[in-house]
Amino acid sequence: MASLIPNLEHSPDTSPEFKRKKRRKTDETPGPFDRNQGSQRIKRWRTEREQQIYSSKLIEALRRSRRTSSSAPAKEVRETADRVLAVSAKGTTRWSRAILASRLGVGSKTMRKHKRAKVTANRRLRKPEINGEKRKLPAVERKLKVLGRLVPGCRKVSFSNLLEETSDYIAALEMQVRAMTTITALLAGGGTQPPTDRLGSHINS
Amino acid sequence: MSSRRSRQSASVSRISDDQIIELVSKLRQLLPEIRDRRSDKVSASKVLQETCNYIRSLHREVDDLSERLSQLLATIDSDSAEAAIIRSLIM
Repeated sequence: MASLIPNLEHSPDTSPEFKRKKRRKTDETPGPFDRNQGSQRIKRWRTEREQQIYSSKLIEALRRSRRTSSSAPAKEVRETADRVLAVSAKGTTRWSRAILASRLGVGSKTMRKHKRAKVTANRRLRKPEINGEKRKLPAVERKLKVLGRLVPGCRKVSFSNLLEETSDYIAALEMQVRAMTTITALLAGGGTQPPTDRLGSHINS
Repeated sequence: MSSRRSRQSASVSRISDDQIIELVSKLRQLLPEIRDRRSDKVSASKVLQETCNYIRSLHREVDDLSERLSQLLATIDSDSAEAAIIRSLIM
């Protein structure tokens, strides 16, 4: 756990508020040490324990939010699930911080305006450079951009950071799907005969 | 390679070959479909496409699951359901 703290301190400027003020890429890639941390983080998403923690937090959050809300329940479940997922990431990844920041409605909309202006300017500048291979490079780069849009908060990160974030994000999403599937199956079972495939047969004994 | 690097502006950079190799190897580990295929014949573009598709399908699954969960939570609101969940989660 202590190793996570220096990570946060090193990159205060990658928080969503400061990100837009610097034109340079502020996401340095600290190197192999960080990758080990990354793979450990990813393995964490795959453990049973992490899934159980997430499931219980999600149920608690759902129970709380159901008392207060009334509109668009499915969307709210989705948002709650994403928020709890982002909290489970413990602030170590950009996508989780972006999800939590967007919940607060902080600055993300103003950021998007700036981003759009920059992207079109780049396109105009880049076209005369690429004469021959019009299909190869831009295709990969185009898809990288699409990927950057899919992972929250990663539209303008460096290449290797995007890879890192994508790996973590996919692992987290998979855990989210597994956890929600389990919860749904349990609820659909009506509480009398829950399925025993994932969680063993301790329940009815 | 070095000339490419020196021409890099502060904004989007060109993707070097090393980065493509890194991309392919890393994303291949993540994607369930590509993992079993032959290793050499996967292009970076295809890997990226598969990754985007996979993330989108995961999003859709989460949406479907939230839909079902919201319906279930609306109808089933009993102590027995929650107790069963809590018991199973603790164990």
